[in-house]
Order: sequence, then structure tokens, then C-alpha cells
Amino acid sequence: MTNGIGRAAGGLLTYGFLGLMAFLSVFPFFWMALGATNSSIDIIKGRVLPGAALATNVSTFFTQVNAPLVFWNSAKIAILSTVLTLAVSSLAGYGFEIFRSRHRERLYRAMLLTLMIPFAALMIPLFIMMGKAGLINTHIAVVLPTIGSAFVVFYFRQCTKAFPSELRDAAKVDGLKEWQIFLFIYVPVMRSTYAAAFIIVFMTAWNNYLWPLIVLQSNDTKTITLVISSLASAYYPDYGVVMVGTILATLPTLAVFFFMQRQFVQGMLGSVK
Amino acid sequence: MDNLARAYLPRIAGLALASVSFLAVSAAEAKEITIWCWDPNFNVAIMKEAGARYTKTHPDVTFNVVDFAKTDVEQKLQTGLASGTAEALPDIVLIEDYGAQKYLQSFPGAFAPLSGTVDYSGFAPYKVEVMTIDGQVYGMPFDSGVTGLYYRKDYLEQAGFKPEDMQNLTWDRFIEIGQQVEEKTGKKMMGLDPNDAGLVRIIMQSAGQWYFDKEGKTNVTGNPALKAALETVGKIMSTNIYKPAAGWSDWVGTFTSGDVAAVVTGVWITGTVKAQPDQAGKWGVAPIPKLSIDGATHASNLGGSSWYVLESSAEKAEAIDFLNEIYGKDIDFYQKILQERGAVGSLLAARGGAAYEQADPFFGGEKVWQNFSDWLAKVPSVNYGIFTNEADTAVTAQLPALTQGTPVDDILKAIDAEVSAQIQ
Repeated sequence: MTNGIGRAAGGLLTYGFLGLMAFLSVFPFFWMALGATNSSIDIIKGRVLPGAALATNVSTFFTQVNAPLVFWNSAKIAILSTVLTLAVSSLAGYGFEIFRSRHRERLYRAMLLTLMIPFAALMIPLFIMMGKAGLINTHIAVVLPTIGSAFVVFYFRQCTKAFPSELRDAAKVDGLKEWQIFLFIYVPVMRSTYAAAFIIVFMTAWNNYLWPLIVLQSNDTKTITLVISSLASAYYPDYGVVMVGTILATLPTLAVFFFMQRQFVQGMLGSVK
Repeated sequence: MDNLARAYLPRIAGLALASVSFLAVSAAEAKEITIWCWDPNFNVAIMKEAGARYTKTHPDVTFNVVDFAKTDVEQKLQTGLASGTAEALPDIVLIEDYGAQKYLQSFPGAFAPLSGTVDYSGFAPYKVEVMTIDGQVYGMPFDSGVTGLYYRKDYLEQAGFKPEDMQNLTWDRFIEIGQQVEEKTGKKMMGLDPNDAGLVRIIMQSAGQWYFDKEGKTNVTGNPALKAALETVGKIMSTNIYKPAAGWSDWVGTFTSGDVAAVVTGVWITGTVKAQPDQAGKWGVAPIPKLSIDGATHASNLGGSSWYVLESSAEKAEAIDFLNEIYGKDIDFYQKILQERGAVGSLLAARGGAAYEQADPFFGGEKVWQNFSDWLAKVPSVNYGIFTNEADTAVTAQLPALTQGTPVDDILKAIDAEVSAQIQ
């Protein structure tokens, strides 16, 4: 009897807590969606009901912002970053795990240490480098520093630990070269690891703010995050328009996540069955 | 792909070389001035207008106005200056007045002095002061935050006050009026954000003082204006004639919703006040109340920004000439930006134009712009120094203690300690 009540209370507590957390994480999205339908003044007044200003907000957004160009810039940077990062960093993670050498662990630890350096500290030297290379205000300058990602190397090395060495041995017996093993055995087997990494890297690249802000200089190279930041910081920001912008900016990452959700979860749990 | 690239690379390279030399030739004639600023509806739009005017008389000069958020402009400027990468910097940049001395002093030689070119005697003196170092003046004064007391005539009339009663107030009288307004109408006198030291800054500058003296030394414990300002804000709080606001938007909401009877702030709020058509004819504008100490005036300032030309700019001469021609002389330009954007510039002669002369039906036919222009010339000059933002944070942190009745001298000591700790 007491046991039953205890269990019920425990369940209530669990669900109450989970419900609260769910509310806290979903409410901003809900608020964003509502905000897009309300006028700026209603948003300031704290209106939590859908309004009638959606069409106005959307049309203001599209007249104020050169949306196709801005989204193209963001997409170009995000996709280039993601593909190159996955290619380079997965190869590095694979290499670190598979090939033994005397300095492997020392090198690996040194690389991990770079995770501790905040980007703000690297910004000025990096900026000088880009200036010397004549890459200021180019998208290449945004993509280049993201490619060698210590975190993604680390992630791939961890996941490669589960990659069966028998597969490699079998492939070698069959006469495959190292690059063929990587490309035709490793990559297909690690599909879900790649999917999870894709989501993480894509999201980071799409939302990247500080470095693009520093290195991009003109209106026609700007990304969506920069444009929203400038919309939101006017003396009298039109919050409805800002909300429309944030919704549009969220959609691509949402889409990527939904398409790869299954693989993402598998990738997080460990990919090789 | 590889073969393709190999086949075409020489041709592409040739084409690129050709276009580079072509660009180099045309660059000798056409000049593009790049400008960074931050509000698409305000300074960005105004700069585009200014650029269009200049291009009309100088067809070889075009403008590229780039907008970033204000903090982003500061971040980019800081990185560009610190890295010494000149090609990363614009030709002209907008800097907020409170932060101007910080950039001018931290990066000596980075900004072009305009002393010989621009006739600064035509501008509001306090705007020129913020951009002066060792007698050299570095910027082109832009928008002013000259302050006014906006009040609801209808509420005050209900409480028994006429517009004449709102002229030349002292802060003590303002608070008395506030108490009567609440008694008779149930409305609070003003909105106040307890986490914003803006009102303290307004009151302090109205008496010609700042957190720092003319030499840039901390001026807190022995600052009668700061003390009186804190006492005034404390009194507003203890008499409870204010409606508390959480943040900027909420504060704006206190008067757009009609909940308060008065607003004391910079002239740039006019557009927001007028954005409520149902309140037309109900507002009046008077000079802000004055302290009862030596040097007190009815004029002050909140915010405002100015244009600066980068010394490294390849188009430095054109940029300076442009600012001087438009912002330094074009009276008609000032009428247009006032009408379209509600921008009050710092050029005193602008008041002679049609837009400044106009009576505003929203304010019951008062010539509000003439009034603001009068007060603009009277704003006391102070030295904003390098650490205004740090001092402001220290003041904000002490505002709650003010409500709890801590003696003002103790609060001043606490602010002084915090400012000294932060700037060392």
C-alpha cells in the first residue's frame, strides 16, 4: 500500500519535473512562433496569443533583408564547412586510433588541449593571418579555421574504438589499399557516426557568429546570424520581424536534424553492431 | 574535374590578372567610401541619404554603407585596430559618444584629426568636447541625445497643473507634482528601470559633472552633482511616484501604454512618443528639471554618436570632405533627416531650416524642435573619459542600496571603490 503511494508520488515527481523541463525547453520556440504573428508593440506588452501581423512581418522581413543571398551565404558556408570538416577530421580520428606511433598519444593530448583555448584568444592572430593571406571578407576565411576540429577528431577516435579490427584485416587480405579500406569499409560502416557528426558540425557552422562577424566586411557576404543580430539591435527593433528571421534561420538545422534523427541517436549510442 | 581545372586554369588566371589591372585603372578615378554603422532605420538610412547627396555633386565618389549590430561594430573595430590590419577597416565608422575617448586614447594615430578642416564653432560644444584630445578634434558630431521632459498635458491638467507650471522646475518640485498627480489621477509620474543608470547620468551632466573630471581622474566621492542625482533618484523611489520597468522595452511600454504622466530622456524618444496616434495633442515638452546646486542647468544629454575617419583609409581625403560638406554645412540635409528619421543633429545652424521651424500638432502646436535646438546649445560639456561604461555598471549595482535607504555618501564610496577596482 505505502509502496504504491510512494511509487505514485515518485511518478508524479518524475513527470512533474520532466514536464517542467519540457516546458522550459519548448517555450522559447512557442514564443518565437507566436512572436512572428504579433506586432512589435504586442510582443513588448507580453502578448501570448497568436496575432494578425504575420503577413506584415514576413513582407517587412523580405523587403529589409536580401533573403536569398543571405541564406545562400549561410548555406554555402555551412555545407562547405561540414563536408570538409567531416572529411579531414574523420580521417584524423581514424588515423589516431588505427595507426600506432611513438608520439601518437602525446600529439593527441596536445591536440585535445587546444579545446581549452577560447576562440576569442585566437581571433586576432587568426585575423592577422587572414589579412596577410588576402582572405578578409571571403567565405573561405570563414570555412578554413573550422576544418581541423579537435572535437570532431576526438569524437571519431572514440567511435573508431568500436570499429572491428577484423574488418580491416579481412580487407587487407582481400588486397585493399589503406585509402580503399577507409573509403569503402570504414565510411559505410560508420554511417551513423558520420550522421551524428554531420548534425553537430552543420549546426555549429550554421549558427557560427563571432568569426564570420569579424572576418566578413560587406553586406553581400553576410550570413543570416549577422543579419538577425543587426535587425535585433536597432534602437527600436521590430521584434516581429526578428522572430520571422529566427524562425527561418532555425528551419535548416531542424530539417537536418529530422532527416538524420535515427542515425543521430544510433551514432550517439555507438554505431557498430 | 582535375583535368578541367588544369585546362582552364591558365585562362582563368589570365582573366583574373586582366580584371585586376582593369580594376586598378578604374580605381584611380572612382572612389568608394565604406562606412560602418548600426541601425538600418536610423544612422544607416541617414548615411545612405548623406552619401546620395554627396554623389550628386561628386559623381566619382560612391558609398558602401554596411550595417552591423552596435556591439558588433565595436567588436570589429577593436579587432581591426588591434591587429593593425588596415584593409579590414572601413573609411568611416560610427562610435557612440560614451565610448569615443576609449578608442581615441587606446589607439592613438588610428583616427584622422579634422581640426583644420571642420569649423567646430558651429556645433554644440558638448559634442565637440567628447572627441577632443590635447586640443585636436577627431570626429564629425552626429546625432544628439539632448534631453527634455515630455509630459501628458491631460493627466497634469486633471491634477491641477498647466503647461506653464511645468517650465523651469526643480527636481524637488517635480517630485511634489508627481505625488499630486498620483493622488488625483492614480497615474505614476514616470517609468523607471532600477537597472539603468540613465537618469543618474542625465541629472549629473545637467550640472556639468561626470564620473571623471577634465583630466580623466575618477570624480565620484567629491562629486556634488552625482550625489544630488543619486539623492533625487532615491527620493523618486522612496516617494514611489514611479512605475518600475524591467528593461528597455518594458520602460518604453510605461508611456506608450499611457500608464505614466511624464518621461525624462533624450530627444530620440520623440518618434516613439509620436507613434501612438491616439495620444496626439496630449503631450507637451518642457526643459528637464534642475538640481539646486552650483552649476545646475535645465539642459543635459543621453546617448548620441559621432562619425570618425580612419587614418589608414585610402579614401581619407574624400571621406573628410564628404563629412564636412554634408554634416558640416548642408542645412537642408538636417531638415530631411529630422523629418524622415527624427534625428536631431549637432549642427546648431540647422535650426534655421523649415523642419526645425515647424510647429508640431502632436505636441499641441508647440515648436518642439526649436526648443530642443535651444537646449542643445546649452548642454554642459563634460569629459566622458575612457571608463564611462565601467562607472555606469558600478552605479547600477548600487541602485538597489539606494532604495533600501543606505546613506548616499556610503553609496558614493562603494561606487568609487568599484570604479577604482575595475579600471586598474
